[in-house]
Amino acid sequence: MAVHANTDGRLTRAFDNDWIGPGIVSLAAVIGISLLQPAFLSSFNIFVLVSAISVNMVIALGQLVIIGIGQMNLALGSIGGLVAISFVGLMERFGVPVPLALGLALGIGVLAGMAGGYIIARTAISAFIITLAGLQIFKGINLGITEAQPFYGVPESVKAFGTGSVLGPLPWLVLPMLICSIGMWYLFNRMRIGRHILAMGSNPHAAEMSGIDPKVTIIWAHALSGLLAAVAGVMLVAKLQIGHPAIGDDWLISSFAAPVIGGAVLSGGRVSVAGTFFGVVIIAIITQGLVMFNIDPFVVQIVLGALILWAVAINRLREVRIAKLQARGAGA
Amino acid sequence: MLIAVTLLVFSLTLDGFTSPFSLFTIGRQVGIDTMIGLAMMAVIVTGGLDLSIGAIGVCCAMAFGWLVQILGLPILLAIPFAVVFGASLGFINGFTVVKSGVHSFIITLATMSIFFGVMIFLTKANAYNGLPPEVQAFGKMKFFKTISPLLLISIVMCLFLAVFYKMTTLGRQMLAAGANPRAAELSGIRTGRVIMACHMLTGALAAIAGLMVTARTGASVPSMAGHLGQDWLLPAFLAPVLGGTLLSGGRVSVIGTLLGAGFVNVMTSGLLLMRVGEFWILASLGAMLLVAVLVDRARQQFLKTKGMI
Repeated sequence: MAVHANTDGRLTRAFDNDWIGPGIVSLAAVIGISLLQPAFLSSFNIFVLVSAISVNMVIALGQLVIIGIGQMNLALGSIGGLVAISFVGLMERFGVPVPLALGLALGIGVLAGMAGGYIIARTAISAFIITLAGLQIFKGINLGITEAQPFYGVPESVKAFGTGSVLGPLPWLVLPMLICSIGMWYLFNRMRIGRHILAMGSNPHAAEMSGIDPKVTIIWAHALSGLLAAVAGVMLVAKLQIGHPAIGDDWLISSFAAPVIGGAVLSGGRVSVAGTFFGVVIIAIITQGLVMFNIDPFVVQIVLGALILWAVAINRLREVRIAKLQARGAGA
Repeated sequence: MLIAVTLLVFSLTLDGFTSPFSLFTIGRQVGIDTMIGLAMMAVIVTGGLDLSIGAIGVCCAMAFGWLVQILGLPILLAIPFAVVFGASLGFINGFTVVKSGVHSFIITLATMSIFFGVMIFLTKANAYNGLPPEVQAFGKMKFFKTISPLLLISIVMCLFLAVFYKMTTLGRQMLAAGANPRAAELSGIRTGRVIMACHMLTGALAAIAGLMVTARTGASVPSMAGHLGQDWLLPAFLAPVLGGTLLSGGRVSVIGTLLGAGFVNVMTSGLLLMRVGEFWILASLGAMLLVAVLVDRARQQFLKTKGMI
């Protein structure tokens, strides 16, 4: 009987661990595809794959912070795009040195995020509508500045960062991704502001009762989201070697897909950095796999949508199952 | 009220604004935007939202093109097919939302990707531009040199919906389910079914909007609502929100949606006539949405302090 209770406990813990499922799926996908198509493991392909994963991970983290607080950020992509063109524009038109331009660009991202967060916190209007307005405003400013023409003046040092490799098939782009991921993990698990964000997400009323300032927490979360969007924008500039005004247009779906696949609960309060990472990996592998097997790229859209639905269903099932196991444990 | 005044002031101060052609194009666009706004409004009523309306609209427009051009169906027969198709796509949304209990945002985000992907896959991203000339003629038709039939369709639809929400049982049940789902459930309304009906209505209205765009362009074009149909999102939310529909659900303003769409298009063409760069208009539309919700919030606060709510 004791053994039985023990396995129940372990089972519960395994189900409770957000990243186990996506982790197994991504491992299986890597093995499956590389058996069918050995070129999948070529160092060039790994390089491409890891570059894509790095950028998408930072984007997903930008959405993850906001999901943690129980909101959504539609403006993520447009902030990233605005930062990307500002970064290159500053260097090309005003000859600003790279470190200064980088600082200013990231600053723009933080400010853009904070502005949205401030309005949401101050007026308590739904984040959806505020960030939808933000999306149009930032995108409009982006197109107003660029007139839909890209900036080409990306310095060699930035280009080298985006296309060079630090170790074997690992690109330099892995570095900012690792810093951001570890930073966010630390934030959610060890820092006061991270705990506050999650507390706000799971029960805003209780959080406020226990002395958390909701306004400050919301503004912090949106500022962080803006910063991560900015980092991703700069990374894309380095990767694409161009300050393209369309950067950020296609972030919306994947930025939600990865955290959801990784087990984040959309109503807030529960996020997993590791789970999100495997979510990003799964999406990248599937996208890459479809390309390798010469499947119509538009199928990727269908698969992404289906993946979100599948992940939502799995999360739901898991919740029900954990609740059942807990009920049985309580009964015994 | 505020909107109507601004509309009037604007049309008096700008030259060339009241020319028949300008009024015709604005009116036609108002008709389309109103329909898109109504489609979103039908689901905002429940406190949910539908990101996939652009995708549904395009899918139905493409289905219409396929029926008419490839199968040779008469237009009048193809229209109901397309609308029913839209309603069934809406049903997929509603069914998934109700059965999974997940917020409609994430469900429709997924279905938007799926619908659009399937549509592009099936059509190979080609437009149906061999439609009968009547389709385009309808889009160009004018009454009294200024009024587009597309605008009239939207106005008729507004009247119909206003009556629907005020008078019919289903309409009142939708509002009740949006205002307070638990209370509605307890008083015997089957909220799940009502929410599915809302999503189907949204789908059908999105389909009509898609057909209206088809009539304007004279062809079914896969990219008519932008990537994944995202271009419809701004008009879809602008019109109802400007018109005073509550995002939390339970209250609609059908006429407000019409006026909201009117206001947006008057502003847009006014700004264009004033030679504001076309790219900046996007930013000002976003700013307008922001101002609209802030004003709305201020108005509610004011009414609350006066004890009128």
